Amino acid sequence: MWLWFSKLGSPKWFYELSGRWLPWLVAAMFAFLFVGVVWALLFVPQDYQQGLTNRIFYVHVPVASISLAFFPLMAIAGTITLVWKMKLADIVVKTAAPLGAWFTAFALASGSIWGIDTWGTWWIWDGRLTSLLFQFFLLIGVVSLRSALEDSDAAAKACALLSIVGCINVVVIKYSVDWWNTLHQPGTDFVLSSNKANGPDIWVPLVLMIGAVYLFFAVSMIMSTRNEILERERRSQWVEELVDNL
Amino acid sequence: MTVGNSTPTSAAFLSTLKRDLLIAYRRKNDVVNPFMFFFIVVSLFPIAISPDADKLGEIAAGVLWIAALLAGMLSMDSLFRADYEDGSLEQLLLSPHPLYFMVLAKNISHWLVSGLPVVLVSPVLAYMLNLPAESYMTLFLTLLLGTPVLSLLGSIGVALTVGLGSRGLILAVITLPMNVPVLITGTLAVQQTLNGATLAFYLAILGAMLLASIALAPLASAAALRISVN
Repeated sequence: MWLWFSKLGSPKWFYELSGRWLPWLVAAMFAFLFVGVVWALLFVPQDYQQGLTNRIFYVHVPVASISLAFFPLMAIAGTITLVWKMKLADIVVKTAAPLGAWFTAFALASGSIWGIDTWGTWWIWDGRLTSLLFQFFLLIGVVSLRSALEDSDAAAKACALLSIVGCINVVVIKYSVDWWNTLHQPGTDFVLSSNKANGPDIWVPLVLMIGAVYLFFAVSMIMSTRNEILERERRSQWVEELVDNL
Repeated sequence: MTVGNSTPTSAAFLSTLKRDLLIAYRRKNDVVNPFMFFFIVVSLFPIAISPDADKLGEIAAGVLWIAALLAGMLSMDSLFRADYEDGSLEQLLLSPHPLYFMVLAKNISHWLVSGLPVVLVSPVLAYMLNLPAESYMTLFLTLLLGTPVLSLLGSIGVALTVGLGSRGLILAVITLPMNVPVLITGTLAVQQTLNGATLAFYLAILGAMLLASIALAPLASAAALRISVN
């Protein structure tokens, strides 16, 4: 267990392992994405009220749900950075912040497009939307703190700390904003039912799309982590060998 | 821990508090400026929006809260900066006493100097903005409990950025989003008590936020200071 844990801290080990996983993950991602998109956009029965617009559900829900995972991920990686000073954990904190900002922005944008057709407005100051907007601001804060601090060791620790504080904050903001004003439908308990209203026709493509988006998240995290590893380890021997063998 | 002259932590806490208050007393600009900033920002709203008393009455609570929040954030810059520049912050980090209490002392003195005057003058400005008279007490009490929370949260951001040359905007980007829960509770309290809700409920929530941030925020600030000053 501990051997595995300390191995995980080695960027080289991660680079080699992820290099073996990456093709499979990318292949699985495209498979899920292709089946999911075609099914969701062409074969899912139209919503009797929302018509074709409802199909954006299959993009918005997976993206919005994964965008909520970034702060917990960064807080966990940040704790590991502060406690065990693991190099890889800091790389995760660093790459997750801008990626999280992009996912959050995309969740807001796709929600907005859905909103103009169903609510009749691009934006409302509703609880869900507002808390996601503030999550976006907090992620931008982590990104800009990283770029403002030049010393990379201090930047690593400072961003780790800010990620932990931010994670607590996102939770508090979420509850306070929900209490303040809410119009968004409450989160539905996800039930794999076979009844008419929410039958397999509706949820199977959603599961596929959630799988596709989660795989996309994994692939993009791994790819940017590998980039960052190469950049940080550019003076080490194994990276030079890697470049020579190209 | 072996300490040469063993001053109790409570004495160190009090002397830090006293020292910071004395410095503030001797540099009166630092005391007057946040207060004037608050006053000026509030006076800009009637000019920009409308001098109409009804409209102002509607937005008064929000305007006062935002102005207090901005005044607090801008004055935070002086919390650790002078100490960082003259090296006394390093002495504070090296002292054998828990940094938590030293940071808390600095936070308390900072709030007494820059937060409390804003809270005290808020009923006057509320009157000028035509806030309904029955809300004065609500506004005053929520600001009294809420502004120390803003200071405590802000000090985390200040501690993280103390080593940076120019940091006005990054401090705002980091700390302003964190203030949302306090802002919501404070402004909701004013609106909802007008509709008949009990004030005690909102005071209890703000009090809980204050206690939680007294317990946790100085820990985070202390950790951030150790990162920023090496």
